[in-house]
Amino acid sequence: MARRLVRGLVALVLFQTILFALIHSLPGDFASIAGAFGGRAARAAIQHRLGLDEPLGRQYLDWLWRVAHLDFGESFFYSPERVTDVLLARAPRTLLVFLSAAVLSYALGLWLGKQVAWRRGGRLELATTVASVAAHTSFAPWLGFLALNIFAWNLGWFPYQNLINFNHWLEADISVDAILLRMVISAGLIFAAGLSSAVTVRRVRQRGRRLAVRAMIIFASLLACFTWWARSGYASLALDVSAHLALPLGTVVLLSFGETLLTMRATMLETMGADHVTAARARGLPESSLRDRHVARVAMLPVLSRLLLSLPFVLVGSLVIERVFFWQAMGQVLFNAIEYQDLPLIVGVLSLVGALVLLSHILLDVLYLILDPRLRYG
Amino acid sequence: MAELQSTLSQPLASQKNKLRRQQAEDSWQLFRGHRTGMIGLALIAIFTLLAASHPMLMSTVWDRRRYDPIVGFDMAYFPHPSPPSIEHLLGTDNYGRDVLSQLLFGARVSFGVGLTAGLVAAVLSTLLGGAAGFIGGQIDQLLMGLADVAVLMPAPVVLLIFGLLVRMEWPAMGILYGLLTGAGAQAIIVKSQTLALRAKPYIEAAQAAGGGRLHIFRRHVLPGLLPLTAVNLFLTVVGAVLTESLLSYFNRTRVDLSWGTMIWLGQETFRRHTMEGQWHAILPPALAIMLFCSAFYLVGRALDEVLNPRLRAR
Repeated sequence: MARRLVRGLVALVLFQTILFALIHSLPGDFASIAGAFGGRAARAAIQHRLGLDEPLGRQYLDWLWRVAHLDFGESFFYSPERVTDVLLARAPRTLLVFLSAAVLSYALGLWLGKQVAWRRGGRLELATTVASVAAHTSFAPWLGFLALNIFAWNLGWFPYQNLINFNHWLEADISVDAILLRMVISAGLIFAAGLSSAVTVRRVRQRGRRLAVRAMIIFASLLACFTWWARSGYASLALDVSAHLALPLGTVVLLSFGETLLTMRATMLETMGADHVTAARARGLPESSLRDRHVARVAMLPVLSRLLLSLPFVLVGSLVIERVFFWQAMGQVLFNAIEYQDLPLIVGVLSLVGALVLLSHILLDVLYLILDPRLRYG
Repeated sequence: MAELQSTLSQPLASQKNKLRRQQAEDSWQLFRGHRTGMIGLALIAIFTLLAASHPMLMSTVWDRRRYDPIVGFDMAYFPHPSPPSIEHLLGTDNYGRDVLSQLLFGARVSFGVGLTAGLVAAVLSTLLGGAAGFIGGQIDQLLMGLADVAVLMPAPVVLLIFGLLVRMEWPAMGILYGLLTGAGAQAIIVKSQTLALRAKPYIEAAQAAGGGRLHIFRRHVLPGLLPLTAVNLFLTVVGAVLTESLLSYFNRTRVDLSWGTMIWLGQETFRRHTMEGQWHAILPPALAIMLFCSAFYLVGRALDEVLNPRLRAR
């Protein structure tokens, strides 16, 4: 494990080196963009302020030192805000879309994949395969546009675009981000309750009772969340945000569940012929138990690794979708940064994506150690 | 007995060729039985025909001034965008250009960027992963360190941000996409496959028979990696085409016209008239992207299932 961490760290340093080299191999430097209209003296002043007049080696060490402290300097577009603050301020908004989309699409894909593989052949399989391939290969902005057109314009079910409806917020004494943060926390709590319920009911033998216990735990957590929101008095604001969240979230889920479904289906089919499944069937175990406990649990391992590896792509999808729906978050920051050539911000976003990928890889190794007994005892 | 005699009397090279042809035929038979894979293959064939038909149509039936995908304009129709008609089967866009002509032209760009990226990624991942797994030691460490770094740079993000620094033509985009995906995750997968291959008894047999390292790699390891290479190729095409369309949609490329640009233009007609838009201008490129990517995805998946014996059994 320690070796894995060291390797990750080395990769991170190399990654930053490449970024540094890239930025410095560009024609001009930070100052030539920032001081384009200020003449030579202004340019020299900016160069001095950004430390660009120092030798390259010194600059490189400075760069690494600052990155290690999560300091990417001052954003050009959002000046005088620091890049880290700009990104942090918008993190809850993106996290709400990105994390819930990831969880929802994985849950949907795993469950559907399981069902489809179990009933192999026939129309159901063909229909789900076609649907998931079509969703997976759809062009993200187009799918967002279609969702807007159908559900917001023609059917009028959801408000279109933007984060909130300002009319509801005129008298609010709380910021959007504070509400969003609370929503992230409560969604996380409900998710944790669902996960822990699955773990706790393992000891319960009877199937009917198991389901009842699970339903009770999830219901209790939902109830607790609802009462908390109702008592806080911000429920209507949260509802407003949720209504605006529905379409972008749905689109990202639609874009990313297909891959999970297809992978899950393939690994399920692979596992279904294994000897231990035949043995379990010969013992007379019910089909649902065979499916869930003997096939799905084994089949899930390789799918899990694919999932974590596809996490950055879900992030990209949600950033683009944020842009399409004018969900003012990190996607907007990224596109603004590109539009206005905000180099420090771009470096910040790239570093963030890199760190996320590294984190998911390390998480994957840890998860494998926990979930696959062969690695622990082998 | 006589048959065996006659086979044995043939030279070894022709025997090998015969065997190889037999293998290819078997794989093809298996692939033909794969329903969705065949659908994908048919779609790829159709798109190839479409892409090839554009230059032919331009030089024969279509008048260059009216049907050019980039600078064409039809004065007989007003206003633009005009709905589908006999002369413009899919109508025209806001600039008075024929949508069908644009669609066919876009197919060429998609094929170009997709196949470039796919080939680069497949060759690179096979070479890097194969070398790392087969040679091992310091080379392995070095190449896997490289892969670790490449993995940290997801190609769509890097390309999107690179669009700011340099607006790229499609070949550059395809090569960059291929390099980033091929050196990263795919190389790691190929390496683990190589390790599995190296443990096979026939490799040991080849070593015992005195085969050199290069010979063993070329004749015994590489053929085992080819299925994975093919799968990588097809799956990379999907990502590359989607990324190119995304970049073109946001106007971050130097590609004159691709399906992504067409979707953006089609969407513009909607913004102007709010509710009512020109579906004939936006639906064809959107469906084309979906079908094109689905085709390559389906063939990649089918190859994975056909060439992977563990999945094939059922």
